[in-house]
Amino acid sequence: MTSHSLGSAVLCGAVSTALSVSLISTSALAAPVDLSKWSPEYVRSIAGTQDFDTAADCAKVTPLDYKGRLTFWYQGVFEGDPDMLREYYKDFFATFRKTYPNIKLEDQALTYNDLLDKFRTALLGNAAPMAIRLQILGGTEFAAKGYLRPLKPEDLGYSTSDFWPGAMKAVTWEGVTYGVPTNNETMAFIWNADIFKRAGLDPEKAPATWDDVVKYSKQIHDKLGIAGYGLVARKNAGNTPYRFMPQLWAYGGGVFDEASANPTYKKILLNSPQSKAALQASYDMYVRDKSVPVSALTNQQADNQPLFLAGQVAMMVSHPSDYTVMLDLQKKTTGADTAKAQTVIDNMRYGLIPAGPDGKRAVVFGGSNIHILKPEYVEGGKVDEPAAKALGCMWASPEWSLKLAYAGSNPGNLNGFKTKWMKERLSSIKFLDVTTSMLPYGIPFPALPQSPEIMNIIVPDMLQNALTGAMTIDQAAEDAAKKVKNLTEGGL
Amino acid sequence: MTILTGKAETVGRRRPEGGGLLRKIWDHRADYGYVLPAIAVMLIVIAYPIYYTIELSFFATPPGLQLRDKVFVGLNNYTAILTSPVFWTVTKNTLIWTVASTFLSFVLGFACALALHRDFLGRGILRAILIIPWVISAVAASYIWKWIYHSDFGIIGAVLVALGWTDRPPNFIDSVSTVLPSLIVVNIWREFPFAMIMMMAGLQTVPDQLLRAAKVDGANAWQRFWHVTFPHLRNVSTVTILLLAVANFNSFIIPWIMTGGGPSNASHIWITHIYELAFGRQRWGVASAYSVLLFVILMSLGYFYVRALSGNEQKDGAE
Repeated sequence: MTSHSLGSAVLCGAVSTALSVSLISTSALAAPVDLSKWSPEYVRSIAGTQDFDTAADCAKVTPLDYKGRLTFWYQGVFEGDPDMLREYYKDFFATFRKTYPNIKLEDQALTYNDLLDKFRTALLGNAAPMAIRLQILGGTEFAAKGYLRPLKPEDLGYSTSDFWPGAMKAVTWEGVTYGVPTNNETMAFIWNADIFKRAGLDPEKAPATWDDVVKYSKQIHDKLGIAGYGLVARKNAGNTPYRFMPQLWAYGGGVFDEASANPTYKKILLNSPQSKAALQASYDMYVRDKSVPVSALTNQQADNQPLFLAGQVAMMVSHPSDYTVMLDLQKKTTGADTAKAQTVIDNMRYGLIPAGPDGKRAVVFGGSNIHILKPEYVEGGKVDEPAAKALGCMWASPEWSLKLAYAGSNPGNLNGFKTKWMKERLSSIKFLDVTTSMLPYGIPFPALPQSPEIMNIIVPDMLQNALTGAMTIDQAAEDAAKKVKNLTEGGL
Repeated sequence: MTILTGKAETVGRRRPEGGGLLRKIWDHRADYGYVLPAIAVMLIVIAYPIYYTIELSFFATPPGLQLRDKVFVGLNNYTAILTSPVFWTVTKNTLIWTVASTFLSFVLGFACALALHRDFLGRGILRAILIIPWVISAVAASYIWKWIYHSDFGIIGAVLVALGWTDRPPNFIDSVSTVLPSLIVVNIWREFPFAMIMMMAGLQTVPDQLLRAAKVDGANAWQRFWHVTFPHLRNVSTVTILLLAVANFNSFIIPWIMTGGGPSNASHIWITHIYELAFGRQRWGVASAYSVLLFVILMSLGYFYVRALSGNEQKDGAE
């Protein structure tokens, strides 16, 4: 053993202290985000209060000189997203390749509606990618089937408490965590103040309840001859449950008891009087009052956006990004349409999603998660785990979980709210306050493997059966409840 | 350079005795060798999937289980299909879709072929224009038609409202009663050029001297068509109709993109329903049972197609 001088001992001590502090990382030293204080004011107060060094944080998970190969699929940008998001996605992959120059990344973007189908097919042929970023609805299904390897925030250098509890619930199956949330969002209620004014409504006041939405929609249609509410009821499209479930929950209904504090997903509520009341509200708008677009049965939200910009739809439920989408769409207009679009943009207002008859307010807690596959289901039979963790760490970092959700969502990592980009976002994205205010009202879809079928097929089917007159409200609700029962009992 | 044939190779080698099947195979062994790679590929990409689909049709695949953990249910999938009201809705839609699309595409295509068979100024340009629907992408065409039909802001609706013929745009694809006819119109628009090309080719084979002779004998235009032209087109018509029918049974792009099978299953046909069952609902077993039934129907059509082709060959040989 060699002897040390006092000087070298002090130096060693100083170096080791500095190293320890850096290992703890800035996020661990700072106060965690307090969800009990959540409000627009609180979000503003924490924005820009902390700096994060993403590369340094991720280097602790996977060394930056690590050499490997990663195949990765993700739900990418689609036609309804703003151009700004496209740029951030490009930046992310360029930064990842620069940060990890020796990891050969083969990434593939897929749209929301195609990703599940393609992933399921690839899994059947053991040709899945090593890692995937899936919509919140999909995680449980693949975890239950045993395709995913356990993965928790701690594996990527974060703490479970850095993420929304609701988001963590959506990546947990039978007590094991199988993914890390990348972004989480709740939508808000959007309306055109100019149309409200012309229809004799208070232009600065959103409808307080869903019953008000029905009344406002009729009043707008009767007075101006345009669609009041931008209903979406297409099948096999994620847009439909994201807009109908808040209505269903607000009336006190649900598929199961997913809107309760401790859901058990045992009792089916689709045929409850409350669920039927929610269905009746949609029926009243579509059939009785004809105050919503007739094309609601084949439309997605991306089809409603141009209609809103053209001043042909007065109200809709959507993301904060829709304001940016409107600005992008306006750039494509010419002549008189540009001025018309500007009027709509100037009159765009955001508010909380309406409540139910009993004051219950709810919204879908949406988002996406990163998962790592088990090797036996991956093309080539191998998963480069350090490479997959490197990508997961970067995407779920405070910096990138915010940037990649800049206009369309919110950071899955709560520390993202503390970054300087959040501060910049609060000043550059109009109405962001409203959508962040909706987050505590967020209800995750049932964490069951059957959820994708329930939300993408059974619920839209129920709506279509009622709205087309193929079934009565009662029949449509009973039919849907029967299908859910059959599904959960393992029927064909 | 040596050109090998089956018979040439037999020189100096032992060949099977007798004049049976084995000897015939031996005589043509080089020919079999040439087609062997193609047969091997077909076995892998066609025969195995068919076998696997049939096998899978006897299993249930609940959404919480992997496919390898499938549960044997015997004929339950077939029973479930045949007792499901959706099956009958989808089958009715498929029959309407296939028969209407096939018949009307053929009639329209045939009429266009007859019109273009005459020599007139601009015939070439008109022929090129009429072929456009067939050559453009079905996906692109579906999206264009979706906007043409749009129930709120479609071109057709806008024109009708502007002309004062209606107060509200007609509901083409958001109504259970009009959606299927509306999709059939799109399908006919896309398919009739195929029938037209086939029939134009057929019309080239009608002997001109026969038509002239009939004219000299006093036959009018209808009589010349019915007694001379049409009999010569019988085989090409059969083949065209069978090809159209098979294509229509297998249609997917137009209904899936335009309506996704909705509203309320009103435009679901077999293929879209099978796709939804398999990929949307992961009922691989039920979807496979549907596929087996569809396979049987298509094979029956295929049998008639091959028979029609063989009939042509025999006739050509006799001539």
